[in-house]
Amino acid sequence: MTLPSALNRDRAQSLPPDLNALRQRIEALARKSEARAIAVSLHDTENGSELQYDADRWFHGASTIKVAILLAVYGEIDRGRLARQSRLHVRNRFLSAYDGSPFRVLADRDADSEVHAAIGKTMRVSELALHMIATSSNLATNLLLDLIGLETVQRTIVRFGLTGVDVRRGVEDEKAYEHGIVNRVTANGLVSLLRLIAEERAYTPELSREMLDILHQQEFKKGIPARLPREVRVAHKTGDISTVAHDAGVVYAPSRKPYVIAILSEWSADVGSRSTMIASISQLVYEGLRGSASEAANA
Amino acid sequence: MPDVKTATLRIVDGFRLDKPRRDALMPGGVLSDREGRTRQLPRYFYEVDSWEAALEHELAPHFNMWEFVQTDVREATPLRFFPRYVPCAVTLTAALLERFREAVGEPVRIAANGGYRSPQHNLTSHASTHCWASAVNIYRIGDDYLDTRERIERYAEIARDALPGAWIRPAGEDRGFSDDHLHLDFGYVVAVPHDAPGDPFNPKLEGDPL
Repeated sequence: MTLPSALNRDRAQSLPPDLNALRQRIEALARKSEARAIAVSLHDTENGSELQYDADRWFHGASTIKVAILLAVYGEIDRGRLARQSRLHVRNRFLSAYDGSPFRVLADRDADSEVHAAIGKTMRVSELALHMIATSSNLATNLLLDLIGLETVQRTIVRFGLTGVDVRRGVEDEKAYEHGIVNRVTANGLVSLLRLIAEERAYTPELSREMLDILHQQEFKKGIPARLPREVRVAHKTGDISTVAHDAGVVYAPSRKPYVIAILSEWSADVGSRSTMIASISQLVYEGLRGSASEAANA
Repeated sequence: MPDVKTATLRIVDGFRLDKPRRDALMPGGVLSDREGRTRQLPRYFYEVDSWEAALEHELAPHFNMWEFVQTDVREATPLRFFPRYVPCAVTLTAALLERFREAVGEPVRIAANGGYRSPQHNLTSHASTHCWASAVNIYRIGDDYLDTRERIERYAEIARDALPGAWIRPAGEDRGFSDDHLHLDFGYVVAVPHDAPGDPFNPKLEGDPL
């Protein structure tokens, strides 16, 4: 796997001793793994401390970019251009960001069959937003992106100063992918994006809470939440394609303020156990933060 | 003359609607087709009070009003709320579709945005016959989704036999073709039912092109 940049190594030196130890454990885990690259970004709202491990490295965004689309959809709701109950025609036909040629989302590659079952009919914007996040529906994602426009998503990213999130096309746009038009994220970018929502700075506190509620309904739990205690709640979004596996979310543990974490990884297509790595790092971080909290209490 | 109503829905003169609806429906207005020819929009509309009324109102044995008014957020804002207004030609379109339905022997499903769309609908371009309520996009027949060239062409052939004079958009991916529905189109049909309101006859205006 690739090593973190010198910049991140420098950052590591300035970490408090407890987070520095945590970082070393993450690094050891990452070195032992078969991953080509691993990146972690952490922001703890309990005390503002941060940990970054190759956190500015760009990865293929996979489905994590759906959080940026969610943010943009809620921007349209905030501006009054859309309502949650607005109905949208469910149609499986989109135009490639490369040359405008039509393409479709393959039903057997999409995790969500409910949206496919509604083809020809309409669904509410709120329903599509939920499917886009909770079951990672690619069809719902492309429908919402098609409705609000790619430029709206990009303007939203600029408006909030999110430098580590780059949305350039819809999902399953193979022709665009073949020509290098790729959605990208960094671990820091996703943490900044999730912090906007978790800290209720995205438009209004009410809209932020609605987005957070959608993220709480995530159905894929093999990443960040997998090895955390049952009482811990995680509002998150996964991203999985043949060569990347990501998870980014807000972790709500009892008796402490939440922390925001993004764990990104890149792999050879034939390597399994990718979510196990994410779950292991998540567990390390959870235990590391809990340990540092008890040390602080003892001191 | 006996007082015979031709429809249970109220027929309204689009000229007498409030301004936001008039602006969206453009009653009696004109649109330009792709070749630059002027096509005059319908002036008379059925008024549909509620979604329940749309669900219940039968236009033909197998087609109710709701299928023709099911639009999405891309429709002009004043037309997303009830009462909704549909050009009176919708009854003729439904009758023709019923004939097509008999020919295929299966339920025929009209897509959202695939019945009546106003001239201000975001998907409307040029003089789309959807603005006359005389065109439909069919996305499913029986269990068949019409998303392959083979299926679209198979049902287009049946439509040609059953509905002489109908225009069917050819299957294909390019502009002017369709690849995920069957577009059936009966031209720029304007229907003025007998009980439609109208202006008193004014011989001074006879022959006045305006």
